[in-house]
Amino acid sequence: MDFGDLKEALASQSYAQIADICDHLMLQVAAEGVAFQEEWPYAIHLLGHIYADDINSARFLWKSIPSSVKENQPEVVAAWTIGQHLWTRDYAAVHEAIRGFDWSQEARGLVASFAEQYTKRMFRLLSSAYSTISVQDAALFLGMSEDDAANYVLRQGWDVDPASRMLTVKQQQAVTDQKLDPSKLQRLTEYVFQLEH
Amino acid sequence: MGSMENLVTQIQGLSGSVEDIAHLHNILKLADEALHSESSMLSAVLDQVDPARHSLGYLYILEAFTSGPVSKEQALTLVPILARFINFCDAQQIRLAPDKFVSVCKRFKDHVLLIESPLRGVSPMRTAVRKLQTTFEHLTTLHPEFLLLCLLSKSYKIGLSVLEDDIFDIDQPRDLFLYCYYGGMICIGQKRFRKALELLHNVVTAPMNIINAIAVEAYKKYILVSLIHYGQFSTSLPKYASSAAQRNLKNFCQPYIELATTYSSGKIAELETYVQTNREKFDNDKNLGLVKQVVSSMYKHNIQRLTQTYLTLSLQDIASTVQLGSPKEAEMHVLQMIQDGEIFATINQKDGMVRFLEDPEQYKTCEMIEHIDSSIRRIMTLSRKLNAMDELMSYDPLYLTKVGRERQRFDFDDFDTVPQKFPI
Repeated sequence: MDFGDLKEALASQSYAQIADICDHLMLQVAAEGVAFQEEWPYAIHLLGHIYADDINSARFLWKSIPSSVKENQPEVVAAWTIGQHLWTRDYAAVHEAIRGFDWSQEARGLVASFAEQYTKRMFRLLSSAYSTISVQDAALFLGMSEDDAANYVLRQGWDVDPASRMLTVKQQQAVTDQKLDPSKLQRLTEYVFQLEH
Repeated sequence: MGSMENLVTQIQGLSGSVEDIAHLHNILKLADEALHSESSMLSAVLDQVDPARHSLGYLYILEAFTSGPVSKEQALTLVPILARFINFCDAQQIRLAPDKFVSVCKRFKDHVLLIESPLRGVSPMRTAVRKLQTTFEHLTTLHPEFLLLCLLSKSYKIGLSVLEDDIFDIDQPRDLFLYCYYGGMICIGQKRFRKALELLHNVVTAPMNIINAIAVEAYKKYILVSLIHYGQFSTSLPKYASSAAQRNLKNFCQPYIELATTYSSGKIAELETYVQTNREKFDNDKNLGLVKQVVSSMYKHNIQRLTQTYLTLSLQDIASTVQLGSPKEAEMHVLQMIQDGEIFATINQKDGMVRFLEDPEQYKTCEMIEHIDSSIRRIMTLSRKLNAMDELMSYDPLYLTKVGRERQRFDFDDFDTVPQKFPI
């Protein structure tokens, strides 16, 4: 088995590619009839799917892992614990699952990068879904202590009411690319012209 | 064995130019029977031909060689030989004998299932599909075999790569039925419910003279996915569905029709009781997991319905209207729906209120214009295809005789020797 591509992706922190590299390699070695199961980096593969926000694929991969691997490799189980909490939308438990395991050297960078991305994603979710939220709940979603969470959101322009421990959310203005390629506009104009005549 | 040596020489000599290969093909067709009668001695012969250069000859020998029943041990030795051939064979050559290639690939699938490692077949079968099909729009008999291997090995994601192609050419009706059914299951697994509905809908509305088991199973899943995705289900099939489907499908899926009726009441307790009493039926159909998703989707659709009536609503009211245990549970449901883009709302924890908003999309971003543009282009291609098919049909002799027969009495104008191709 040639894990060169995978090692390179991990080393260069191209984490978004991990899942595809692993999928591809697994099909390849399986087709060659190699008994890969015992040596397969299941934990990295699972984390790759989780990083790419593809929980369905992570779940199917977990289902296909032989039980001997699940029993002998605690890191594989730990990786799936994160996936499981994402699957059930137990937002706070995801952070606990990330922190609750001493990740191996190979997995550490990937997990840390996912944790950072997940916190940002949670912040965006809170910004879009809440107008006011308690400091306590915000801390759970962001996976921080209450003080850290309050500081984090204050930096983003939110307000805190110290008496009720309530945060007022400042809606973020999403900046989208409005610049338009004139040829596109031209084509749409032609369509409309065609329809009207 | 002399004739065998002769054949090998011819395969080796005649695998170069197109004319040579056509000539070789005739020789092989004649030798096919002899090959089958000596199938046990062919393994030595296989070693003398090259799967990449002599693909057509190799294919004929391999097909004869693998034609008998095999044990598990034999399958273990055959699988690598078959996989190697699929990987190395020349697409141009094997397309000359598609039936042979299909039967070799089907045996390959049977063998990987026999040795209980479907994952081994996924990648070679995808290669086989790509080599056999003339264009990406061509549905081969191997498509469903590939999807089946994906399902059995739980490699759903790789299955999606084939499902993205739009299909226009079909060899056998059965291929389409199975392709859409398995494809629907893969999309369900990946929670792509819209695409799943599209595929399953193709199965139930496809032309059929008599009802078939694939259509019945597809209809059951179609009902369930429709409830999950739209929160409702209409029992009437579109007009273009076959009359066999119109008349019979419902009778074969009674528990599912009743489930849809119970669902439409919007009462979660009733739905749960119904599922509980009919649990065994759903379990036997292996649809229990999907039925459970139907049940939990009801909260979602009930909340969605509230957004049409109210501008603001307290979490307490939401919880009691959709029969959730607590305001906190209601909050979590609303949050998930916002996350999935299913509703637009903001939660105010301080007052325990939810404010429902309009869809913020203003249809003026670059992305949206790109999306509109590509949709228009897709529809234009589709319309061109439809016109071309219509044209082909209008001078198909079979169609013309049928139309002619039905039009018994002729007007003077109809005595026109050339049928009108384009009624403008």
